[in-house]
Amino acid sequence: MNEVETRIVAIITDLLERSDHGDLKVTADARLHGDDGLGLDSLETAELSAILEDELGTDPFGAGLLPETVGEVMAFYADQAAASA
Amino acid sequence: MSAPRTVIVTGGSRGLGQGIVQSFLDAGDRVATCSRSETDAVRAWQSDPQYAGRFLFREADLADREQSTAFVKDVLAEWKSVDVLINNAGVARDGILALFSDDDTDTVIDLNLKATIHVTRQVVRNMLAHGGGRIVNISSIVGLTGYRGLTVYGATKAALDGFTRALARELGSRKVTVNSIASGYLRTEMSHGLDGGQLDQIVRRTPAGRLGEPADIARAIDFLVDPRNDWITGQVLVVDGGLTA
Repeated sequence: MNEVETRIVAIITDLLERSDHGDLKVTADARLHGDDGLGLDSLETAELSAILEDELGTDPFGAGLLPETVGEVMAFYADQAAASA
Repeated sequence: MSAPRTVIVTGGSRGLGQGIVQSFLDAGDRVATCSRSETDAVRAWQSDPQYAGRFLFREADLADREQSTAFVKDVLAEWKSVDVLINNAGVARDGILALFSDDDTDTVIDLNLKATIHVTRQVVRNMLAHGGGRIVNISSIVGLTGYRGLTVYGATKAALDGFTRALARELGSRKVTVNSIASGYLRTEMSHGLDGGQLDQIVRRTPAGRLGEPADIARAIDFLVDPRNDWITGQVLVVDGGLTA
């Protein structure tokens, strides 16, 4: 994982620990929502969006996207990096 | 003394907003405010060395989303996070509804309601990312009791109280409290379309026997934003000298 991807995993892990879901493993394949995934509710998703924007300057939710997996969040930043390269 | 908080007060260049800004500056906090034009009060704060580095002013029309967004971004660029948001900016247009213009309706709703919601949304995102905060919406007893000639203004203030309650429910688990202060009639707010005769009548009907001062409201705000008061949220605190008792 690159630096941004590591940071994304850390942010989501922190979020889950605060929500008493610290036992869940954050992988690129993990779904953000639902019982078969990380189970983020709407407020936790808003928190994730706000923290990503705060730390990385932008976020996929604020850009109008609805990423369903951790990997899709990572891909958003990879696309941005590629576009600005 | 506790660490200085970062406070945004919308519409803080005159009247009630000016009093609220002064109250937070006196408490040692960092205060950012905006209004459509600079006033003597703003110039005095900017040039006073005791407020150096902890007062920020931007000329901005909050009803313009680009200007509103830029204002909040400037505050975050300067101080990183916001601890307290006081939604004070508002405008009143008086006149009976049957003769009220659509333009005046838009002006009042755009600033009192839509701009307040827009600023709050931006600040709430920052509060979520930084672990909590305090939001106080400056409402009015006109939103509770109604007042002839202030229908649209009253509607926006009643809506603001509804916004307060719903947002408090959304954010309660994230250490963000949201409350309204329903202000009574203030001596400095005579621009709200009330003439001398109406104000005399209000004073006669007010148990406290006087119109309010900005400091009356500022003290109530100070109570609601106290870090210890994390069990008061979603409420409308009426500060009106007992007029609506």
